[in-house]
Amino acid sequence: MITAGLDLGTQSVKVVIVKDGKVVARSKAFSGFDPAQAAEQALGEALKEANLSMSDVRHVTSTGSGMEMAANSNSTVSMMGADAKAGVHLFPNARTIIDVGAEEARAVRCDDNGIMMDFVVNERCAAGAGAFIEAMARALEVKLEDMGLLSLKAERASSINASCVIFGESDVVSLIHKQESKPEIARAIFEAMADRVSSMVHRLGVNPEVLLVGGVAKDVGFVAALKRKLGVDILIPECPEYVGALGAALVAVNRVKKV
Amino acid sequence: MKSQSEEKKYMPELSEKEVEELRKAITDTSQRVVAENIEKMKKADQNRPEAMNYFDEIADFAQREKEIRAAKKEGKKVIGYMCLHAPTELILAADAIPVRVNSGWYDASKLGDRIVPVEVCPMVRSTIGAKMIALSPYLELSDALISVLTCDAMTKLGEILSDYTPVWAMTVPRVKDSAQSIRLWNEEIKAIKAQIEALTGNTIKGKQLKSAIERTQKATKAFRRLQDLRKGPPVIMGRDAMLVNQTYMWDDIDRWTEKTEALCDELEKRVSQKNWVCPTDTPRVMITGTPMIWPDNWKVPTLVEEANPQGILVADELCSSERLLYDPVGVDEWSISDMLNAIGERYLMASTCPCFTSEDGNEDRINWLLTKIKDWNIQGVIYYVVRGCMLYAMEYTRVKKVLDRNNIPVYYLDTEYTREDVGQMKTRVEAFLEMLSARIDI
Amino acid sequence: MMELIGEILKLMVLSGLALAGVLVILIWKKGLATKVTYLRFLVQAVSMVAIFYLFTYPVWQLIILIVIFVLPLFIGRFFCGWICPFALIMDAITLIRKTVKVRYRLLPDKLNKFLHNLRYVLFLVFLIIPVALYLLDPPSSFDTSFLLAMLLSGPFEPWRILVGPLIPLIVPWEGPLAISGVYFSYPYVQEVILYSEVVFSELIVNIIAWVFVGLTFVGSFFVRRVWCRFCPTGASIAVVNRFKGFKWAPMLHIDKDEEKCTKCGICKRVCPVQVTEVYDQKGGKITTSMCTLCTRCVEMCPYEDCLKLKMGGKTVFKSRNWLEPSTIE
Repeated sequence: MITAGLDLGTQSVKVVIVKDGKVVARSKAFSGFDPAQAAEQALGEALKEANLSMSDVRHVTSTGSGMEMAANSNSTVSMMGADAKAGVHLFPNARTIIDVGAEEARAVRCDDNGIMMDFVVNERCAAGAGAFIEAMARALEVKLEDMGLLSLKAERASSINASCVIFGESDVVSLIHKQESKPEIARAIFEAMADRVSSMVHRLGVNPEVLLVGGVAKDVGFVAALKRKLGVDILIPECPEYVGALGAALVAVNRVKKV
Repeated sequence: MKSQSEEKKYMPELSEKEVEELRKAITDTSQRVVAENIEKMKKADQNRPEAMNYFDEIADFAQREKEIRAAKKEGKKVIGYMCLHAPTELILAADAIPVRVNSGWYDASKLGDRIVPVEVCPMVRSTIGAKMIALSPYLELSDALISVLTCDAMTKLGEILSDYTPVWAMTVPRVKDSAQSIRLWNEEIKAIKAQIEALTGNTIKGKQLKSAIERTQKATKAFRRLQDLRKGPPVIMGRDAMLVNQTYMWDDIDRWTEKTEALCDELEKRVSQKNWVCPTDTPRVMITGTPMIWPDNWKVPTLVEEANPQGILVADELCSSERLLYDPVGVDEWSISDMLNAIGERYLMASTCPCFTSEDGNEDRINWLLTKIKDWNIQGVIYYVVRGCMLYAMEYTRVKKVLDRNNIPVYYLDTEYTREDVGQMKTRVEAFLEMLSARIDI
Repeated sequence: MMELIGEILKLMVLSGLALAGVLVILIWKKGLATKVTYLRFLVQAVSMVAIFYLFTYPVWQLIILIVIFVLPLFIGRFFCGWICPFALIMDAITLIRKTVKVRYRLLPDKLNKFLHNLRYVLFLVFLIIPVALYLLDPPSSFDTSFLLAMLLSGPFEPWRILVGPLIPLIVPWEGPLAISGVYFSYPYVQEVILYSEVVFSELIVNIIAWVFVGLTFVGSFFVRRVWCRFCPTGASIAVVNRFKGFKWAPMLHIDKDEEKCTKCGICKRVCPVQVTEVYDQKGGKITTSMCTLCTRCVEMCPYEDCLKLKMGGKTVFKSRNWLEPSTIE
C-alpha cells in the first residue's frame, strides 16, 4: 500500500511517500506565499522520485499549520499526532517527542502504539523555535548553518533573555557592545532556547527515551544545549524535518485500514 | 468648584461624539456576532429543539432591554451584579430586577486599556470599556451594582464603576468554611438587604423572601434537569445548553424557568426516541476556568463543537454557566433569620470559585470536578483561562495533577478577549480532540 | 374473663400499631413519602403509643431498659432520633416555634460538647446514689444481692433514670396529676419528685416538678432538642463510638461521599443537635456519639448520593436531588 504525508509547515512544505511501512521518497519546497501550490509541487517531485503517479497513492494525509490548504489530501492529522506516530515508528521505545520547527515548538508524550497521551505547545512566541536562531544569526552576522558549530567552541555561555525574539535580539546587541566573544553569545542563544523548550518538556514529564525532531534538530548547538538542560540523552532520527510528514503518511495507512 | 466626590475617580472624559462612534461600531459588531453565533449554532444541529427559539430571541439583548425599560417606568428598580456571589433572592424579594452585568464584548476590552493596564483580566477591562461608552443595556439600566470582592480585578472594577452608578461592595472572606467567615458574610448579607430595601423602598418580609427563594429553587430545579439530561448520550449541543444557562443572567426568572422546563420536555422526548445530536462516540468534553460571557466570548465552545474531529461539551464548571444556579438555598425553617442564613451559606460556602482557600486548599473545587467527570462521563477537560485571571491560572497545576492521577486528559487553553487567535487555538483544540478520540478508540 | 378480653384487645391494638409501622416503612421505600420529617413524626407517635401499652406491664420496663441499653451498640442513637417519646414532645414544641416563626438559638459548640460529656457524669451520679446510701447506712452484713436490689428495686430504682425519657404524657399508672381519671405524667417528673421528696415538703416538691416541666418546655422552645444534648440515656452509644475496639458494632451510620460534597453547609445548619462532624469529616463513615440519626441532614443535602444512611453496609436512605431530578436514567 502506498500513502503520502504532507507537512505544510510555516517555512517549508515536506512530503514523504511510504510504501509498506518504508519511505520511498522525500521532497521539500518553500511554503512561500502559496503553500497549496508548494505542496502540490513537492508532492509531484516526490512521486517522480519514486516513479509513481498520483493514482498509485491510496490516501494522502496532511498535517502542519497549513494542513487545510492542501488541495489533494484526503484527511488531516494534528502535528502532535503525526509526531507521535512517526516517533514511535522510528524508535519503538520513544515516549517523549520534542518537535522544534521554524515558528513553533511542541512536545508530545505518547504510549506504545504511538498514540499521544498529552502535549504542550509553546505559547504564541517564536522565541523557543527556529526563527529565534535565524534572527540571532542575523544579529551576529553568522550563517545560520554555522551557528551550531560556533557555539560548540565556547567554554561558557553569556546570559540572554529568551522570553521574546525582539528582546532577545536587543540583548544580543548589548552583548556585542560589551565585546563578548561570538561563540559565547551563540552558546547563550542556544542555552536560552533550550531553557524554554526544556521547561515545556518538564510540564509533560521527561520520559526516556526522548526524541528530537523538526528542522532545528539538525542544529548541533541546540541539541548540545538541550542535552545539558534535560540531563538525558536525546535521540535524533535522520532527516528530522521530515518526521511530521512521515507521521502523516503512517496515519494515512491507518485511515485506509480503518475504512 | 467640584467637590472631590463628584469628580470621576478613574473614568476619563470622553467626548460625546467619540462615545457615539465607538458605541455604534461595537454595537454593530456585536449584533453581527450574535447573529453569527446563533447561525452557527443552528447549523451545528440541523434538528435543533424548537424550544431553543425562545433563547435565541432573548440572547439578543434588545428585547429584554425593552422589557426592563418598561418595568422601570412602572417604578421597578434594577440591581446589577458582577459575580454569582450576589444574593439575587434578596433582589427578587424586594420586587427589583436582578441582572448580571459582566461584559463579553472583545472590542470593549481595548477601551478598558485606557484606564487599566493590559495585564488586568480582560473581562474586567471589557466591563469598564462597556461602561465608558454605555454599551451594555443592563449595565446602563442598573440603579445600583452589587460588587462582590472575589478577586483583585473585581475589587477595583467596583471602584471604577462607582464613577457612574452606586456600587455596593460585599467583602468575601477568602476562607469560606470558618465560623468567623460565615459570621462576616451573614453580616454582609444583612447589610446588602438594608441597601436593597433603602433603594427600592420595599421592606423584605418573610413572605416575599420565601416566595423569592421558592421561585429561585424552581429555576434551580429546571436548571438541574437540563444539566442532568446531559449526563447521557448527547441530546443537546453544549453551546445551546450554555446559552440557556447564560440567559438566566438577564432573563425574567419565572419565564426562564418555564421555557427551560419546556426545553427539557422536548429533550426528554428525544432521549426516548434516541435522537442524538451527534454520534455517541464523540469525545465528551468539559470546560472549566474563567467565565465565558455572551455574545463575543463564545469562541471556545464554538471551536470545540465545530472542530475536526468534533467534540461535544456535556458539562462545564464555569460561574457563567453551570455554577450559576446548580446549588439551591436549603432552608430549614422559614423564619426570616434562618432564610437569610441559608441564603448567606449558599452564596458563600456552596461556591467552588478559586478565590477561596482553606487548610486543604480549595479541595471542594477538585472534588466537584471529579464528581462532574464521573457523573457526566467526561473524557477530556479544557482548562480555559484568559490572560490576567491569576486565580484560575494558578490553580491549574493542582487540577492537572489530580486529573492526571485519574487518567483524564486536560488541556490548558489560554487566550485573550480577541478574535485573532482563533486559528492558533483551533490547531490546539483539534489536536486535543484528536487525542481524545484516539484514546476512545483504544 | 373480662381482664383476659382486655389483654387480648390491647394486644390487637398493639399489633395494629406494628402493622401501621410496617406500612409506613413500605410507603417510604416506595418513595411515596417525600419528607422524612413527617415520616419521623409518624414513627415517633406510633412508638409513643406502643411504649404506653408496654408500660402497662411492669416487667416490660426492664426489657425496654435492656433494649435501649444494648440496641445503641448496634443501631447508634436511632432510638433517640426516631422512637423516644420525650423527643416527640420536644419536636412538637419545635413545631409550635416554627409556626410562630421564632428563630431557634444555637448553643456555642464548646457548651454543646461539654453537655455531651456531662451525660456520662449524670449517668454515673444516678448509679452511685444507691451505693452511697448503702455505704451511709451499711447493712449488718455485706450483701451484693442487697446492693443489686437497691439498684433495681430499692427506693430510688436508679435504673429508671434511663427509661425517664420514655415516660409518655398519659400513663397507665396512678400519678400525681389526674384529670377525670386519666393520669398524666412527663418524662423524669416521677424521678424529680422522688429525689426532692427526700429533702423538701410536698408543696416545694410540686413547685420543683412544675419548674422542671417549665424549664424543659422553654429550653426546647428555644434550643432544638435541648434534652438530647445531655440525656444520660444516650450514653451507651458513646462507648461504641469512643473506643476503637467497638468500631465494628454500629450497624446503622451516616456515610458521606467526599467528592459529591461542595461543603455548602446545609447539613451543619439543619442538624437539631448541632453535630458538626457530618460537615467537618472528610468522608466515609461519620463517627460521632452526638448524632441521633434523625437523618435531617440526609434529607436536606441537595447533592445526590452525597450523604447516605447505611445499615450493615447497605444504603437505606440517601440524599437526593431534592428538587427532583429528571426521571430519565
